[in-house]
Amino acid sequence: MAVTGTPGSVSIRAFVRLKLRITGNTLRDRPARIVMFVLGLVAACGFAILGYSMLAVPGLLDRPDMAEFLFPFGGALLTLGWVFLPLLFFGVDSTLDPAQFALLPLRRRTLIAGMGAAALAGLPALATLCATLGTVHSAALLGGAGAALAGLLGVVCGLAVCVVLSRAVISAFATSLRSRRARDLATILLAVVAASIGPLELTLLGLLNRADWTLVETAATVTGWTPLGAPWTLGLDVAQGRAWAVPLKLLIVVVTVTGLLVWWGRTLEQAMVGAAGTGPGRAAAPDHRSPVTKLLFRWSPRSRFGALTAREIRYWWRETRRRAALVTLTMAGVFLPLSTAFAGDGSGAVGLAFVVGAIAPIGLANQFGYEGSAYATNLATGVPGRLEIHSRAAAHAVFTVPVLVLVAIVTGVVAGRPEAIATQFGTLLATYGTGLALVLPISVRAAYALPDTTGPFALSSGGGFSKSLPGMAALLGAMIGSLPVVVLATLWPWLALPVGLVYGVCAYLLGAHLAGRMLDRRMPELLAAVTPR
Amino acid sequence: MSLRGLVKHFDTRLAVSGVSLDVPAGSFFGLLGPNGAGKTTTLSMAVGLLRPDAGQAELLGYDVWRAPAEAKALVGVLPDGMRMFDRLSGPELLAYHGLLRGMPAATVDQRAVELLDVLEIGNGNRTLVVDYSAGMKKKIGLACALLHAPRLLVLDEPFEAVDPVSGALIRDILQRYVSGGGTVVFSSHVLEVVERLCTHVAIMSDGVVRMQGPLTEIRGDRTLSDVFVQVVGGRVATGSELAWL
Repeated sequence: MAVTGTPGSVSIRAFVRLKLRITGNTLRDRPARIVMFVLGLVAACGFAILGYSMLAVPGLLDRPDMAEFLFPFGGALLTLGWVFLPLLFFGVDSTLDPAQFALLPLRRRTLIAGMGAAALAGLPALATLCATLGTVHSAALLGGAGAALAGLLGVVCGLAVCVVLSRAVISAFATSLRSRRARDLATILLAVVAASIGPLELTLLGLLNRADWTLVETAATVTGWTPLGAPWTLGLDVAQGRAWAVPLKLLIVVVTVTGLLVWWGRTLEQAMVGAAGTGPGRAAAPDHRSPVTKLLFRWSPRSRFGALTAREIRYWWRETRRRAALVTLTMAGVFLPLSTAFAGDGSGAVGLAFVVGAIAPIGLANQFGYEGSAYATNLATGVPGRLEIHSRAAAHAVFTVPVLVLVAIVTGVVAGRPEAIATQFGTLLATYGTGLALVLPISVRAAYALPDTTGPFALSSGGGFSKSLPGMAALLGAMIGSLPVVVLATLWPWLALPVGLVYGVCAYLLGAHLAGRMLDRRMPELLAAVTPR
Repeated sequence: MSLRGLVKHFDTRLAVSGVSLDVPAGSFFGLLGPNGAGKTTTLSMAVGLLRPDAGQAELLGYDVWRAPAEAKALVGVLPDGMRMFDRLSGPELLAYHGLLRGMPAATVDQRAVELLDVLEIGNGNRTLVVDYSAGMKKKIGLACALLHAPRLLVLDEPFEAVDPVSGALIRDILQRYVSGGGTVVFSSHVLEVVERLCTHVAIMSDGVVRMQGPLTEIRGDRTLSDVFVQVVGGRVATGSELAWL
């Protein structure tokens, strides 16, 4: 006898339970994941407490004018964070992947409600709720029980906007990026956006210093009427005697959420079909050069070293995560010195450029993780450790050394001291070499697997912070290790280039030697470490 | 290829417990077993991709872990479940393998073009290996393993996801290779292929070799499928359950 459930009879509690169960299962027997989860919990608590206290301040101090711009701006920023932070840094929480529900007889409405509820049952949503309850506290102190009630309603609505907006945008992104080429492009774009946040911030701060106050107040009022800021200002409106605004703002929120839900529903259906249908491959004209000339560059030696470096160079360009790292480095390298020049007199540019020399090698900190189990090829053919390390460093240098030259030139010009370019380049080389010396052994010792997808949102696989700690340590170490050359450069600037070159090369050779020996001993272990499970 | 008492644990799970295998030179050797029997783990340890917890692996007389350079130079490997350098195009990947093996560029070019033509990938093809179909990936992987004309080929699931035409082509290439004096070791759970090709077989389950020897001895007068089911055990028929189906 066939037993068929009526479609749509699944309660949304099932989704929430499923998500919690999956979260629980991923933690079982995995101490490292538990540590990461606890760290995440601590961070969420920290955010909740910090947010709550900040938003409660206007109430405690009885300063409604402060709330007038803190609530709409803070709320809008929070909502935007829900959209952009997952895209840029955290990756999307794909505990519940819509594609997995494709074969189940679920109505779209049930699915949306379930996915939404499941998204609410997570740390980010809880932390946001706790933090924004601070607005309710303020509203209660400023306007009594009625204001608090309106504030509470607003907080709940605001959370709904956050979750639905973030889900809808991400779902739309994911479906529009079916083909590998489109995803590759998106990764690069995101890297550019991420890299430009720092300089943008500095520029904005510079502008704010000069901005006049009435303009900011107008902006705050306007933001309070947009879907991004509206829910967070409900309590304040009641407290300030603008109760008439509440139904209007509620209408704005409801219309927004409904629109987003419809949008989400549409893209969700496409996402359920999965990324199976990839875009058509570009039909390029056949290339009839011989295989070796296709792989190697004209100047590559016809040897193992040549093949290894040529493959690495092509990978730095063709592999999205690597290309994103290069783009970020170039953006940071060129714009960090530039932005300080706009902010101040340009003297800080020299120091920042020095940092770029230390940042450059960080791209190699998990160099074996980029290609994952493909390293098996080199292992099966028995590539010696030293050759492996030298070829990889050489390929990296092909991209980074020109960037370093560019940084030295930009810094020198911005600081108004073109004669310092050579000195600057010398210290950069010393930092770069020292950084390589530290990073190369780390890349062998502390390699970790990156997710085996080409998705642009899979940049971090969770636990990214603790995994990037060795890289951060190398960054600090490179700056400390190259201090002798920096000191020398201030005393005798003309010595910096030759000494920096020798210092950097010696440090590199030492590090490469160490890393090569290490690699010879632990090749299979390295392969196991970078193979995604 | 000769394996002696290979053992491998993953965390607490015993994946391979004391596998010993003798592959005679010039044989076409099939390693059979159900999913999860430890075939991939065994072959990975045999070719030096995975360090065994105990035991020895010898390839053509060289210990894989003591003299890796000599052992690896004579062997061609097609791993399963490992990626290739798939951001290269097929011809580029072949050139990479050839140069890594220390072959002269002219030889690499000549052999690579020939392999690409025979396997119907084509030297003019600019598609990156990452965009290849599963069958194409197997074919280019096989070409990479063959390029340096090794004396021993170790292939993990060479026929998985390969269409019948390509499968026949691969079979023909391998048969030709063995008749020329080469040795092939491959894993599979497709019994028909093994029965048609192999001179020797070994049957693994639960990390142990249950049976090994020449195909005719193992099979006797039964079919290989019957022997396999009997050795591995497990259920092949339903009883009174599933009556509603």
